[in-house]
Amino acid sequence: MSILGRSARRANPPEGVPLDYIEPATLGVAVELLASDEAARPLGGGTALMLLMRYGFLRPSRLVGLRRLASDLGGISVNDRHELRLGALTTLRDLELSRQVARSAPVLVEALHIVGNVRVRNAATLGGHLAHGDPHQDLPPILLAMGARAHAVGPRGSRWIPLDQLNLGYYQTALEPAELLTELALPVQPEGTQGSYTKFTAVSAEDWPALGVAVFFRRDQDRLAGVRLALSAAMDRPQRLAGVEAMLDGERPSESLFQAAAETASSAVEPMADGGGSTAYKREMIRVHVRRALEKTMRAPALRSG
Amino acid sequence: MEQLRIRFLLNGEEVEAGVAPVENLVQALRRCFHLYGGRESCGQGICGTCTVIVNGRAVSGCLYLAVLAEGTEVVTVEGLSAGGRLHPVQEAFISCSAFQCGFCTPGMILMSTQLLEENPDPTDQQIRHYLSGNLCRCGAYPEILQAVKTAAQALASQK
Repeated sequence: MSILGRSARRANPPEGVPLDYIEPATLGVAVELLASDEAARPLGGGTALMLLMRYGFLRPSRLVGLRRLASDLGGISVNDRHELRLGALTTLRDLELSRQVARSAPVLVEALHIVGNVRVRNAATLGGHLAHGDPHQDLPPILLAMGARAHAVGPRGSRWIPLDQLNLGYYQTALEPAELLTELALPVQPEGTQGSYTKFTAVSAEDWPALGVAVFFRRDQDRLAGVRLALSAAMDRPQRLAGVEAMLDGERPSESLFQAAAETASSAVEPMADGGGSTAYKREMIRVHVRRALEKTMRAPALRSG
Repeated sequence: MEQLRIRFLLNGEEVEAGVAPVENLVQALRRCFHLYGGRESCGQGICGTCTVIVNGRAVSGCLYLAVLAEGTEVVTVEGLSAGGRLHPVQEAFISCSAFQCGFCTPGMILMSTQLLEENPDPTDQQIRHYLSGNLCRCGAYPEILQAVKTAAQALASQK
């Protein structure tokens, strides 16, 4: 559903109607509360919701605070498939400081250093970061390229959503009303994987990205293998570029190959004009930064197993 | 507007307040407790003037619902001094003249105390990065950098 979408607008209470705040003690009750009132919204750290409410984009009838669920929906661990399990209520700062995350997903930690600032990362949660559906978020392209999947619980039960199916468009996700993200599973990356995230900001260093590029591959002899490349921020949602991945996979890395891949990437997507730049500008930036991101990934340290 | 009762530890004291569900923490601290060190400026979590410490971690008070303070331990710049003595970070900001108008100072000081708790001997680059979410429109950045390093030395010599 969309935070800014149809149901939210229709169900907005008239101006001046007080907002209500409630903190359920169980996930089941949280889902029930959200299902019984379509103008209710869940609140994790609140950093994004507070902005939407302040600027009048969202006027929920009730906020359902999720923090009492942190014992179930928080934490960082390894599941029985050896995947990293990241609880939806884990703060971005906890992810950034986690040794476990640093070991298996160093690119994620590097990106976390430049998400918002320390205060925002202290409050913002991983689940909120993903459910918000803002195409400018830094982590989705990385998680997408890493093959992550998200677990959601709603009135009709629970399901796993592969990350490439989570974002449907501008502030739109596959989450149904009253459906809550509970955790994220991050698959083990093959030994030798090299990765990088490039955050290109057009206005100032600490701005939201005008373009995000996440790249992962490993090297099999002198050839690229397991190439995964995702773009974000320039379009209405983060996207994997299968065509570009295919033209790199099994090839010997070279300047001309990376140049050709960058050209293909810039014509493979439909950039969205916004404060970060026009469509034409973003196309040009994709061409420049995909090439640089590939070069940067060549220099990135290779992941060791165990 | 309906008020929600919240109880929390504020600068070491147990307090209770009635807050509106939409009220943010910095508004509530100003309205209910006349603590004016935290102030709202950008309202987007970018500038850092609304910095408040909740359960040992700095948050942007303008993006933090006051009701979330229920059951927590809140520290504002007013709670940094102890027994009539300023905190070493406060002393360093004075001795280095790390401000002009002073509007950003409470946020700068709180973030600097957090940085030095996490990293007692930060490099210039680490200080700049940690304070990148705090803006000083007077441009006292060189003095602020110096103040953090001076405070780091003072804190180290206390140990």
